[in-house]
Amino acid sequence: MEGKVIVMTSGKGGVGKTTVTASLGAALAQQGKRVAIVDMDIGLRNMDVVMGLENRIVFNVVDIIQGRCKLKQAAIKDRRIDNLFLIPASQSDDKDVIKPENMVWLTNKLRKEFDFTLLDCPAGIEHGFKNSIAAADEAVVICTPDVSAVRDADRVIGLLYARSISPKLVVNRIIPKMVESGDMLSHEDIIDVLSIDLVGLVEMDDQVVVSSNTGNPLVSNKESKAGMAFQRIAMRLDGHPDLPIEDPMAQKGFWKKIGKKLSRKNKDA
Amino acid sequence: MKLNDLLKKLINKPESRQVAKKRLKFALVYDKLEVSDNMLDNLQKELLEVISRYFEIDQDSMNLDIQRSDDYSALVFNTPILSAKHCQRTSAA
Repeated sequence: MEGKVIVMTSGKGGVGKTTVTASLGAALAQQGKRVAIVDMDIGLRNMDVVMGLENRIVFNVVDIIQGRCKLKQAAIKDRRIDNLFLIPASQSDDKDVIKPENMVWLTNKLRKEFDFTLLDCPAGIEHGFKNSIAAADEAVVICTPDVSAVRDADRVIGLLYARSISPKLVVNRIIPKMVESGDMLSHEDIIDVLSIDLVGLVEMDDQVVVSSNTGNPLVSNKESKAGMAFQRIAMRLDGHPDLPIEDPMAQKGFWKKIGKKLSRKNKDA
Repeated sequence: MKLNDLLKKLINKPESRQVAKKRLKFALVYDKLEVSDNMLDNLQKELLEVISRYFEIDQDSMNLDIQRSDDYSALVFNTPILSAKHCQRTSAA
C-alpha cells in the first residue's frame, strides 16, 4: 500500500508549524509507522535543528531532485526514534529551483518508501507553498488563537479547497486561563469562523522551547502537555479519527464546574 | 475568578475574545469581497447587456458598487429606467 503525503501549512509564520510537524512525525514513528519529514523551506532550513540532526546533513531535497544523489542518501535517520527520517532543505539554493512537477515526482517515490510523508511548508502562499500542495494528498492547517493567524489560515484553507484538499485544523498555543477569562479566542470561536474539521488542540507549553533548545523530541517528554496532545493528533491522523479531542479548558475543580454552569445559564437568559 | 476579571464584568466591558471574533468575521468577509476594478467593469458590461434587453436605461448615470457595513455587504446596482421595452411589457411590469 502506498503512503500518505500530508502538507503542514499555516499561511502565517511563527505559529509553530515546524514544532508541530517535527512532533507529529516523531509521534507517528513511535507508533510504528515509517515517516519522512521534508523541509520545504528552501534557503531557510530549520527542521534540522528542531530535530537535532543539523550535524548530519550531507545531501538535501534539491540534490535529490537534481539527480545528485539518491533518495536514501539524503534521508537522515533519526538516532532516537526508529523509522523517522528527515530530508533537509537546501540552505544555499534559490527558492525557485524546485517546481511543482519536481515535487510530484519526489512524492511518488516517497509514497513507496514511507507510510507518512510530512511536508513542512514555508510561511506564505508563494513558491514553497505551491510546491508543497502540488504533491499533497491531505493537509493540516496550524493556527494560533489570534486574529491574524486565523485570517491567514482562512486564506490557506481556501487555496487548499481549490485544489480539492479538505484540510484539518490544529489550534496551537492555547492558553486556557486566558480563554477562560475571555481574553483569548476559544477553539469553538475559531472553528465557527473557519468552518473546518478539528484534528487537535495544543496548549501553550514551556517544554516546547526546552525541546527545541536541546533538539530532543517533545513527544518523548511525558511531562509535556503539548507533547501528549501531539501524540493524540498523530493517532487521529493514523486511522483513529474518532479519538476524542480533549479540551485544554476542561476544568477539574468542583467549584469551577459549578461556576461555569452558572455563567452559561446567565448567558442563555 | 481574579479581582481584575470581576471588575471587568462589573463595568460590563466586552471580553476581548468577543471583539476578536467579531473583527475576524468581518475581516474574512471583507477579504473575500476584494474584487478588482476590472472584474467590476466586466460585471457592469454584462449586466448592462442583459438589462438592455428588457429596459431602455440611461447608461451614463448607472453605477455599480460594493457597499460594506458592519453587519452586511451588498452589491448595489443603480440605474434610472427610461422605459420598458415593448415586447417584454408583461413580464417587465
